[in-house]
Amino acid sequence: MNKVMVQANKEWCELRRDRFSLALAFLLPLFSLFLFGYGIRLESKNIPIVVRDMNNTLLSREYVDRLYATNLFKPAPLRAETATPSDAIKSGDAKMAITIPKDFTRQIYRGNSAQPEVLIDGTDISNTQIIFNSIKAANLYYLAMLKDERMPDAAVQWVKPHLRLLFNPGREETLFIVPGAFGVILWMFPALLGAVAASREKEQETIIRVYSANPHPLQFLLGKALVYFAISLAMALLIAVAGLLLFGIKPVGDPTPLLVATPLYIFVSVSFGLMLGTWANSQTTAVQATSTLGFFPCLLLSGFVYPISNIPFPLSLFSLIVPARYYIELTRDAFVRGCGWPAVWYVPLVLAAFAVVLIGISWLGLRRMQLKD
Amino acid sequence: MTTSVSTKSEVKQSTGAIITVERLIKRYKDGTEALKNLTFEVQPGELYGLVGPDGAGKTTALKILAGIMEPTSGKIAVLNSRPSQARRYIGYVPQGAALYPELSVDENLRYEAGMHGVAKKDFEQLRQTYLKDMGLLQFADRLAGQLSGGMKQKLALCCALVTQPKVIFLDEPTTGLDPIARRELWQALAVLGAQGVTAVVATPFLDEAERCHRVALIYDGAVHEIGTPSELKKALGLKRLEIAIKNDRKSIKELAGLSFEHSENIVDICPFGDHLEALCKDASRGREEIGIALSKANIDVVNINETPPNLENVFITRLKSLTKKNVRNVPFEGLRESHDAHLAGVPLKAANLTKRFGKFTAVDNVNLELHHGEIFGLLGANGAGKTTTIKMLCRLLTPSSGTVTLLGDSSNSRSREIRKKIGYMSQKFTLYDNLTVRENLEFYAGIYEIPFEVRQRQINWVVDACDLEEIKNSLVKNLPLGWKQRIAFGAAVMHDPEIIFLDEPTAGVDPLARRQLWRLIREFADRGAVILVTTHYLDEAEFCNRMAFMASSRIVAQGSPQELKAMPEGELFEIKSDNNQAAFQALSEALEHWRVSIFGSNLHVILDNSKTDLEHVNSILESAGIVVESTRPIEFSLEDAFIDVVQHQGKRKASRRSILRGDDHE
Repeated sequence: MNKVMVQANKEWCELRRDRFSLALAFLLPLFSLFLFGYGIRLESKNIPIVVRDMNNTLLSREYVDRLYATNLFKPAPLRAETATPSDAIKSGDAKMAITIPKDFTRQIYRGNSAQPEVLIDGTDISNTQIIFNSIKAANLYYLAMLKDERMPDAAVQWVKPHLRLLFNPGREETLFIVPGAFGVILWMFPALLGAVAASREKEQETIIRVYSANPHPLQFLLGKALVYFAISLAMALLIAVAGLLLFGIKPVGDPTPLLVATPLYIFVSVSFGLMLGTWANSQTTAVQATSTLGFFPCLLLSGFVYPISNIPFPLSLFSLIVPARYYIELTRDAFVRGCGWPAVWYVPLVLAAFAVVLIGISWLGLRRMQLKD
Repeated sequence: MTTSVSTKSEVKQSTGAIITVERLIKRYKDGTEALKNLTFEVQPGELYGLVGPDGAGKTTALKILAGIMEPTSGKIAVLNSRPSQARRYIGYVPQGAALYPELSVDENLRYEAGMHGVAKKDFEQLRQTYLKDMGLLQFADRLAGQLSGGMKQKLALCCALVTQPKVIFLDEPTTGLDPIARRELWQALAVLGAQGVTAVVATPFLDEAERCHRVALIYDGAVHEIGTPSELKKALGLKRLEIAIKNDRKSIKELAGLSFEHSENIVDICPFGDHLEALCKDASRGREEIGIALSKANIDVVNINETPPNLENVFITRLKSLTKKNVRNVPFEGLRESHDAHLAGVPLKAANLTKRFGKFTAVDNVNLELHHGEIFGLLGANGAGKTTTIKMLCRLLTPSSGTVTLLGDSSNSRSREIRKKIGYMSQKFTLYDNLTVRENLEFYAGIYEIPFEVRQRQINWVVDACDLEEIKNSLVKNLPLGWKQRIAFGAAVMHDPEIIFLDEPTAGVDPLARRQLWRLIREFADRGAVILVTTHYLDEAEFCNRMAFMASSRIVAQGSPQELKAMPEGELFEIKSDNNQAAFQALSEALEHWRVSIFGSNLHVILDNSKTDLEHVNSILESAGIVVESTRPIEFSLEDAFIDVVQHQGKRKASRRSILRGDDHE
């Protein structure tokens, strides 16, 4: 234990003087939170559309107004050369074009289905989905309104209000993104700190000193991990406070799962960095490896951006060994759902298993405390 | 451990050895065999030197001895156990010190002590002792990254000693250190034996090996010869002749043509800046042969002296017989007409050159005049201003005042024309680690705009002349320091420049390779190029025709090697006694500390007046109960001269002529 403290004390002295690592510990996580919190929006606004109302009656105009009332669309400038709807989309002026047929009103009064023609720009997949849903929803809303106000006996009964969530702008999105961002940030930066600290010993060749002092590999690893663990806890507190102040995110329900899992998760993250750092020969390699092996899986396979259910088969297996996946589940529960232990009891257990495996691998690599051939 | 152990080198090994190495073999994963058959023993209290060329296996041997690498096979015991088990009692000073640059001197020490489990209460006292011994006490709070090279090495030594080791291994502790720092470090090593510490030092510097009790000559992964420095020199069985010649550029050029290959008597001859050195079996026959050859070549001989051979002579003679393969002399085909080496005019001239960085004056009023065909040495301690001067001379840096005239151009511009006529080898390698040797050379050939038709020819010349054939397709990063230096030299000169700047070209290069490098430098001088070399290593400054000593930003002395060696006041004596350590203790207490130094089992003492002072020294030793076995005057080396000029000249003139300590204000 004594040597663990000697190692930790040395790491602390080094860290205090290393501006890059300090930035990694405090400035960059905040910056990332801003980026994720403000920058990433899964919904879009101001999607340019083109409307051709061939009918031009009260009902058709009300229908168009309903579309704009979603706040998602804005009229695209209609230029001479983009006269037809398909031209407007091809030229990029509009993402969607809707043509209301001449017999729109007549068909409604007859009780038949009126069929506005909708063209959607399919190149932008997420936009397509949003537009598609919005049209469907606007349509429903319009029919409901029709029934309430003008034609109580209209034969359109399939109004289902459960899609309405999609019209909720802003708040729900932040609730989805920010707790996930906690998971990403607390994966990225503690790991980078650990990787830099471990690989620096090799780059400076001071690892030779460590080898000749011959501490137990665990003393060496835990001494290093201790300092970066403590620093990362401070980092976690910092971004939690920032999340509260900037986005109004706070835990709902029982906070104990969060309090138990966060230190564990940070320890796993630091261990992951140490593992890559003891393997790499230079800081550059260590940082690159941590970014590539840590950041991308964490961003893409953790359910942070894309739902885990959308990940195709072989990759979905890989997502099982992405610790962020479990922690993000837990933070979303802690900050949004509020179900507490019954929903996330297994997360701390999984994280503890990761910690044991990662430290174990680093230990194996260092077990002889000697130079490799 | 008592002090008497130190001189008992004649004791037959095998009894009570503290380190035993037998048929040690180390094969790396990639198949290279770093150690092929290493066998030696070290006695307690010895200061033991491992000497050998680059890639001989010194570093590998030390890593295995320190227990941080496993051998492939062979027997090895340190303190009667496997090195990896004895790590608690082993101190290791890795190459380049390997300190934590972000930690202060104190923090580095504390970490090292803590990791070795040194008790807190002991630590305070040990820290105090060693920092004081090494003169680092007032720098305890400074970050290790901000220390000078010499201080770093001393701190690394402190770090090893603070763990209270019984054995200490040092890997090239003086590479990159200036002469003063080198001396101080060796003074610290010389007294380790008295403190009960056995030390094994790997070094490429032969003059340092003279300070060891015993030396093992390692070549190609095997030990070839072991003995005390005097035993080794005796075993060589050759006489050395130093032939001083008239120092004009014409006769120096003629020297290069001299050959004694057919002589059975003369084993080796080496032309230095203003003298020749010959090793021969019979001195008088040697004098005769050389006299005839020199008069045939129309070279005026000033005098011929017989001097005892040094370890470098031993080393080079042995290595030459081991390598067999004669160093090839590949003629250089230039890109321009070769000048007559003694063309008139001053191709490189600096007048009142000064450079200030803020308040700090890095170079202060330097005046230099260099001629065609001349090798000029710029010598000085770390931070004396050598590199800044060179950078101004090749116009990488604009002087604060003063002018530099290059080939008649004093415009201070760095035009393409001028650039093509300059070759510059900088201190830090400008080679690309992830390119092969050949790719690096091709890159530089392109940079210097060597015409396509001759590019391959020039590159092949570098490969042949610098002996790079076997490694030309290896990545540069995997090569030892000495090889990198050779490649960097080749890259700097293959475009046949008229002015060549070499900033510490031989740092970390072993004697044999160094000789080869100097032969090449000489060749370029003979083609009429001007060559300016900086070096820390004063022994090799003998290769220069003229040189200047720089100290605290100024040039303090200028002249030929002979002239400079005549500068120190006083005389140098070698004293052999029955107890070297005790003699050192007694004398360094009575005399000013710089006058006494330990060289292996002898002492070197600088005296002002041989008649009166020698009596005084004898009486000091006598009253300490030490029996003096022999006392003989020896010549000052360039290093002695340098240290004298830089450190003591001013002081001594101020103080009165007595050598007693405390007479001058330190």
